[in-house]
Amino acid sequence: MRTSRLPRRPHRRAIVPVLSAAVCALALGACGSKQDAVSAKSTKPFTVMLDFFPNADHAPLYEALDRGFFRQVGLDVKPVAPAEPAEPLKLLAAGRVNLAISYEPELLLAREQGLKLVSIGALVQRPLTSIIALPGRHVGSVAELKGKRVGTAGIPYQSAELHTALEHAGVSPSSVREANVGFNLVPAMLSGQVDATLGGFWNYEAIQLRLMHKHPVVIPVDEAGVPTYDELVLVVREQEARHDGEDLRAFLQALSRGERAVKADPEAAADAVMAANPSLERKLQLESIRQTLPATVPSEAGKPYGWQSPSAWEAFGTWMFDHGLLHGMPIRPGYLTPYTNEFLPGQGI
Amino acid sequence: MRPRRALPALLLVVLLLGAWELYADFSGVQSAVLPAPHEVGTALWNGGAVLWRNFAVTAEEVVLGLAIALTAGFALAVAMHMVPLLRRAVYPLAVGSQAIPIPVIGVLLVFWWGFGVLPKLIVVALICFFPVLVTTADGLAGVDPEQLKLMRTLDASRWQSFRLAELPAALPAALSGARVALAVGVIGAFIAEVATPTTGAYPGLGRQILADAGPNFQTPRAYAGTAILFAFAIACFYALALAERRLAPYRTRTSGEPL
Repeated sequence: MRTSRLPRRPHRRAIVPVLSAAVCALALGACGSKQDAVSAKSTKPFTVMLDFFPNADHAPLYEALDRGFFRQVGLDVKPVAPAEPAEPLKLLAAGRVNLAISYEPELLLAREQGLKLVSIGALVQRPLTSIIALPGRHVGSVAELKGKRVGTAGIPYQSAELHTALEHAGVSPSSVREANVGFNLVPAMLSGQVDATLGGFWNYEAIQLRLMHKHPVVIPVDEAGVPTYDELVLVVREQEARHDGEDLRAFLQALSRGERAVKADPEAAADAVMAANPSLERKLQLESIRQTLPATVPSEAGKPYGWQSPSAWEAFGTWMFDHGLLHGMPIRPGYLTPYTNEFLPGQGI
Repeated sequence: MRPRRALPALLLVVLLLGAWELYADFSGVQSAVLPAPHEVGTALWNGGAVLWRNFAVTAEEVVLGLAIALTAGFALAVAMHMVPLLRRAVYPLAVGSQAIPIPVIGVLLVFWWGFGVLPKLIVVALICFFPVLVTTADGLAGVDPEQLKLMRTLDASRWQSFRLAELPAALPAALSGARVALAVGVIGAFIAEVATPTTGAYPGLGRQILADAGPNFQTPRAYAGTAILFAFAIACFYALALAERRLAPYRTRTSGEPL
């Protein structure tokens, strides 16, 4: 239903401006809605919910889309951007999407809430979350956070990361004031509300600040004493992992081809990301794509793209449990693990 | 809107922009916190295609969402007027619906209606139907009892009495409600976009403003987008005011005439 009709009245002239405004808006709206390419009959719809709006982290996905890798394996992949970070896992569990990009800690929390979800691959192999400070605040190391005010996004596991980093540097957490600045981490720093932040990504906010010639100090949390984890993971329902293994294998195969394309031609990858989200700044995306590339290589040699290290998952799960973020150990005998490598190219049966 | 009538508003805009420019230039406030009007103007100019295509998405949501809201609000008010039991049952819930924090139901709306425009229209409608409902219901209840008596004397049917006495009496109030709805329709679309997931390269101006004010770190363009929404709300409001003069010409001019 695209037209709204006003009550008919003798004075039609008056209705003309209203109606024409409505028609203009509708016509404009029609231009704005993205026309999906005609999908081949043989492809299966496959909705992927991103962790955030489309950005450099999703370069392999958009490259695979752009170059038709998904189509070649029979998947009609449609990316969706969430309204808030908890949404992807909720809508995945509700059966509205086929795969969700989320964060390893979020997945472990969701599983403890009873959502039957499992990660089938890592989009990014290590934490992107970092402690970031601007030079004027004299924070060159974690130890120098003593007595300072640190802005976070108010996410409990990130507060725990801050505590761990402080303890690791021999600083009493009580000597540091934590301020919840929501998602306005960079503005909070620039306006001087806080001396440093934890929550910004070294491959995003840090680059953004560098491009603004602000010379930020950047300390990724895994270099500050927090056990390493996979910042971005590809999550599906356990049920699908049991029954629709072929689709998942096909998805990961196409995605790893996308990743190779990103590596071969980061400029083209930046164009693909820009086409998906034209409001971004290309320079930042390109730089972010380049700097993220090493973080997509598995830490263990000879493992395929997307590989999730069992020992790292074990260590990080234990850390979350030890910090009271989880009530039970996420990996324990007799329970399905929160991750599986069996759908990665060259793995499984 | 005759040009000379718009003069006071335009003068005020110029005055406010001037004060804003001076404050932004000389108070030392950073552009990331408050960009100067000339920076916003530049962003508006350079933002071009991205801003306008996102605006087109938002404008569609506003117009369609308002169409649903006006229809639903008016229809519900009439139904409540006709059936007092319905009024007692529904009115409190309609009031309560205005307190729903939309992000809470964002996931549910998408679960029911998918990733298209429909969940966003529902949100706009939910926010905007209420003023129409309240004003129309009051207008219908406030019909001159003498007129109703006259209708009965003339042996008018329930429908005739509604059409000839109650509806004309309620229309000015209903239009006031519609004007309030139109003014909040734009912020309704913003809330709708921010509270629901989206597909495609142009997620709407609301999403873009939020991204520009936050992670994109393009505060001037966030203000440019805001300026577009600001102007659009005014345009919507006066488009209806124009129609209103023809729809309810018998409305007293002294009270709420905006121009």
